[in-house]
Amino acid sequence: MRDDVYPVTGTHIWYYFICKRELWLMMHSIAPDQEDENIDIGRFLHDYYSKRGKEEVDIGSGKIDRIKKVGNELVVQEIKKTSRFKESSYFQLLFYLEQLKQMGIKAKGELLFTEEKTKEQVELTDENREKLLEAVKDIQTYAKLPVPPSPKKIKFCNRCAYRDYCWAGED
Amino acid sequence: MKKTLYITRSGVLKRKENTLFFVDEDGKRKFIPVEDTNDIFIFSEIDLNTKLLDFLSQKSICVHFFNYYGYYTGTYYPREHLNAGHVILKQSEAYLDKKLRLDLARRFISGSINQMKQVLRYYANRRKENNELLLGIIEELNSSLLKLNNAETVEELMAFEGHARENYYRGFDEIIRNDDFQFGKRSKRPPLNRLNALISFGNSLCYTMILSEIYKTYLDPRIGFLHSTNFRRFSLNLDVAEIFKPIMVDRLIFQLINKRMITQKDFEKEHGGGILLNDKGRRTFLEQMESRMRTTVNHRHLGKNVSYRRLIRLELYKIQKHLLGEKPYEPYASLW
Repeated sequence: MRDDVYPVTGTHIWYYFICKRELWLMMHSIAPDQEDENIDIGRFLHDYYSKRGKEEVDIGSGKIDRIKKVGNELVVQEIKKTSRFKESSYFQLLFYLEQLKQMGIKAKGELLFTEEKTKEQVELTDENREKLLEAVKDIQTYAKLPVPPSPKKIKFCNRCAYRDYCWAGED
Repeated sequence: MKKTLYITRSGVLKRKENTLFFVDEDGKRKFIPVEDTNDIFIFSEIDLNTKLLDFLSQKSICVHFFNYYGYYTGTYYPREHLNAGHVILKQSEAYLDKKLRLDLARRFISGSINQMKQVLRYYANRRKENNELLLGIIEELNSSLLKLNNAETVEELMAFEGHARENYYRGFDEIIRNDDFQFGKRSKRPPLNRLNALISFGNSLCYTMILSEIYKTYLDPRIGFLHSTNFRRFSLNLDVAEIFKPIMVDRLIFQLINKRMITQKDFEKEHGGGILLNDKGRRTFLEQMESRMRTTVNHRHLGKNVSYRRLIRLELYKIQKHLLGEKPYEPYASLW
């Protein structure tokens, strides 16, 4: 990890909007319990989809699920299983749009929720861009914290593979 | 929960059709699902090859070897699959900083003595009468606990622990009350009587089981805080075992003897004069140990039932949190 500016990726944006503690642990390469069944399922799904030819597009600091051209417009798609983590998915996609913009590429975004078979349009605006950049700065602050943020019980805890680690010995 | 594979028959263990395959000396064949295997304990003569070891590494499975007499030989500890520089730095820091190390070592010892007290209290409560001896020992353990604060070095702490343990062992004859299993005094390598044989065997199982769990965390098993065997072999597992030996091993031994699941027939004498469990005894012990480790208890903090085996992992998580500076480590305290 560099001391000055921590290179933020789309995944960090994702964790940031779910749980700051998870973000810290991930940034310090402390992965969650590998025996958790949700992790197994996730790994399986990833393998399954990559075998089916769904190709990720590398844009330097992250991987975009899919890019396509509709008319004259570029559309970036982010594929998620459910809309359970909507806010996270939304900002993760915005982050990719912002990165493309910095490369001089104008694009629109689309969130796909496969289980619900729904689609959502996402566009980079001044307003949400400001919120995004704030998050990026905040993530860099979290990266420098010497101690992980203490666990907080939220609705995502019950299916999180860190739960035993977070709550071991906590009252 | 994944399973521990105990092999007590000689034969060949190999990789076949992408899973584990065992053929014993009588030619009996068996497939073992690798995805459901947590770790492997081998107590017999097994032929294996590098293809198998490579496969086990891929699947992150530790193999613990014990020799003919049931002594721990060593562990095949696959390359680390979980690495976090930050955790290793913190663990090393806690070892190198005298104050931090002493503090953590003291936590292990006080946890250990508290567990011993709990075991004695359990039997003292069951007796109701003639339990003065056990109650007396508990009192002495209490004063040992107070003394821990005066210790200025890890060596001093170890001495206090040794003294406490001697006291604790004085209660064993009282708990067991069986002439076939008199304690006498603690003897290892070789154990000189049946009870000592059981303790030695149980303890080495406890050490290796904890090692298997450490492998699944970011902690480095070579850096212990209490046991000064650092850099030569695994030692963090010995530290953590202090907390679990009384409930995992000692309580099991009392149960095996008092319910006559293990009797003097389950032992044999080796040439060096040592007394050891024979094949059948070892098998009974392993079966009962495994079923004990699968027993679940309600976990106050997690609000769910967890197995004894899982308790070990949670304990390691607590130690990691201590090292990261999140929360001071409070050893597990059994309530029964």
